[in-house]
Order: sequence, then C-alpha cells, then structure tokens
Amino acid sequence: MKKRGTILVENIIFIILNLLFLSILVLFLVKQGSGAVLLEQSYAKQIALLIDSGEPGMTLKINMEKAKKLSEKNGINFEEVVKIDENLVTIKLSEGSGYSYSFFNDVEVAPPYTDGEFYILNIDKKWQIK
Amino acid sequence: MADKIISVYWFAILIIVAGGIIAMVNIFYNSPYDVREIEAEILTNKVGDCFSDLGYLESGIFDGQGFLINENNFLEKCKLNFNTPEGDLQYYVQVNLFQAGDLENSFFEVLQGNKNLKADCFISGEYEKLSKCVEKGFFTLDKSGNLYLIKILSVIDKSEKNVK
Repeated sequence: MKKRGTILVENIIFIILNLLFLSILVLFLVKQGSGAVLLEQSYAKQIALLIDSGEPGMTLKINMEKAKKLSEKNGINFEEVVKIDENLVTIKLSEGSGYSYSFFNDVEVAPPYTDGEFYILNIDKKWQIK
Repeated sequence: MADKIISVYWFAILIIVAGGIIAMVNIFYNSPYDVREIEAEILTNKVGDCFSDLGYLESGIFDGQGFLINENNFLEKCKLNFNTPEGDLQYYVQVNLFQAGDLENSFFEVLQGNKNLKADCFISGEYEKLSKCVEKGFFTLDKSGNLYLIKILSVIDKSEKNVK
C-alpha cells in the first residue's frame, strides 16, 4: 500500500512539472507574438503603406486596438502612439522603444488623432496646409 | 528506479524541445516584415497614375508636342518624395515609352533615384538582401489617338528596415 502511494505522488509531481513547463512555453510564445517591438514595426509599416496608397482628400481610419491595450499597459498615452513627421511614421508603444518607417507619397498628413481605439489620418495636398 | 531514469530523460527531451522552439521563435520574430515588394507595387501604380489618366497620357506629362517631364521635375510632377532617414537613395524608378508600332525601342525614357539599384533586378536567385523590383506595362493613348506602351520599373532597397 505504501509503495502505491509513493508512485501516485511521483506521478502527480511529474504531471504538474510537465504542465508548468508547457504553460511557461505557451506564455513565452504569446508574449513574443504580442510584444511592443513587433507591433510597432507592423503598425509603422502598415500606416506608411496606407499613406503611400492614399490620395489627397482621403481619410484613413485605422483600428489600433492592440496598440491601445499595449500602450496603456506600458504607461504611454494612446494619443502619442502615432507620430508623423514629414514623410516618416513613428510608432511608440513603450518607454525606450519606437519604430519609424518612411513613405514616398509626397502628401501632407495632418496630425493624427484618436477616436476610441481608432486612429484617424487625413491626407492633404502639400500646398493646402502650408 | 526505471521510472526515475525515464523522467530524467523525459525532462531532457522537454528542455531540448523548448530550446528548439525558443530558438525558432526568436529567429522568426527577430526578422523584420519585408514589405518592399508591396511598396514597389504601390510606387509603380503611383507612377502609372502620374503618366496616364483614364487611358490617356496626362496633359502635364505630354502636351501633344513633346514631353514635359524629365529627371529634374519627375518627383514634383509625380508627387513623390524619395528622402529617407537612411540617407542615400533607397528608390529607383525608370519609365520607358514605346510607340505601338515599335515595342522594342523606347523613344522616351526618364530615370529617377539610385541608378545602382537597377543591377539587383538582373541577379537570379533568392537573395533577401537584394533590392525588390516590380515591372509593369500598360497601353495608353494621346489626345490624337496614337497608342503607346508605358513600361515602369520600380526598385526599392530599404534592406536595413526589411531584412535582418
């Protein structure tokens, strides 16, 4: 009887350790896939390509739900996540990080603003604002 | 005793598998997204729109007598900005026009950007570090009804931002 009990305890410890190991692995994978560095790059490139495809007079409404959640978690104001300086899009989702990507479309992009989890970008001709 | 030996081996296997997964994930997520091909497609379409509107040569490009576009005013006419933080030119665009009767010899050509990038388009094989090239052609008419073929080659380098 005593031996049987030992085997059961060993098995339970073995299973718990296995589950712990797998959980850590899954957490690592989830964390890697939703990291600030990856999202910053993805958003910066997507926004730059959208602006490249855009025409003056267009309004772009971009769903940035993931960015909002992550920026708030990292203590960054969502209003300051997207910055457009001349032809450079910069995304910042955490302190000490940030990613920039340039676009070739020679348009004036009005300062972006937020509407809930969306970012609104207005594309204008260069001379209209200057 | 045998069980303990098996569990030691089992954990060794788990560590090896986990190590492999972590290495693969790191390699995957540390490689930047390569968007140059899409970017080159967009650039080609943009230049196409600049040269032709609704199937006719743009009046700002061709006035019926001659071409109003050249290397000096190409960026301004096509509303492009090739400045990048990387410094040296990351783009190259080449536009060739052919008359419908002679699709071999281009009668008008305009080039813009870093001419050195064009060589990358002729290297065969999948080399990630090379610039991405997109070439498209389409027919268009002038106001007198003459038919032209416009060929646009767009090349984008930006390897620092798109390739590890």
